[in-house]
Amino acid sequence: MKKIKWSIMALTIVASVSGAFATAPQHDCRTDQQYYWTGGGFMPTGVWAVNYLCDASSNTCTYTTDGFGHYFPCRTGDYRVLPAITNETTTKKKK
Amino acid sequence: MFKRQVLLECISALLILLFLYASLSKFMDFYTFTGEMLNQPLPHYLSRFLIWFIPITEILLCIALLFERTRLAGLYASLGFMTLFTIYSIFIVFNFFGRIPCSCGGVIKRLTWKQHIVFNLFFVTLSVWGIILQRRKIFKSITITQNSFV
Repeated sequence: MKKIKWSIMALTIVASVSGAFATAPQHDCRTDQQYYWTGGGFMPTGVWAVNYLCDASSNTCTYTTDGFGHYFPCRTGDYRVLPAITNETTTKKKK
Repeated sequence: MFKRQVLLECISALLILLFLYASLSKFMDFYTFTGEMLNQPLPHYLSRFLIWFIPITEILLCIALLFERTRLAGLYASLGFMTLFTIYSIFIVFNFFGRIPCSCGGVIKRLTWKQHIVFNLFFVTLSVWGIILQRRKIFKSITITQNSFV
């Protein structure tokens, strides 16, 4: 029984580890500079989860560029700007 | 008895497969996972805590499920973990938080929130089944030891 048990467990661990490696992103476009569509042009975004987020939807949230004026979809979702944490708010908090 | 033991091993293996894959995917794409966790409709201090708590707990669950002595505890913990995640998914689907964030974690992130609920319920059922089988096994071994003393 022990042999069967450890064979099943070994197989499971190998499958999990190789599965995780196989599905890991190769080149992650999200690590490049992101741009969002303003309606009239592309503007650089701030930092993900600090300045902006992408809410779930099938739209394109952010784009990346090849530097030659071509923009490619990267993140999916709806672009949402996060309220900025300014020095004013932090000094108010301190008071 | 033998069939039941193999079934129990398979249930534990499936849970290990889920937790180990999920935690490794998070660690291998930690930058995205952090962003996606901060995108959840939770207070930021809680999200920051969960960024480390979830993958580490998943690995600990795998270790607990691997060994006979800790398996029952591991199965109970898996049940609790999956139940909490199912409740959270139900809250998301019913728009309890006012917005729907992305669903995350390796290939599993391709699932919609509704598919996530079905997926989670399957593993909740599996944990309950595992608990029943493991408890029966422990109960039987106790009665056998008691009878041998009579």
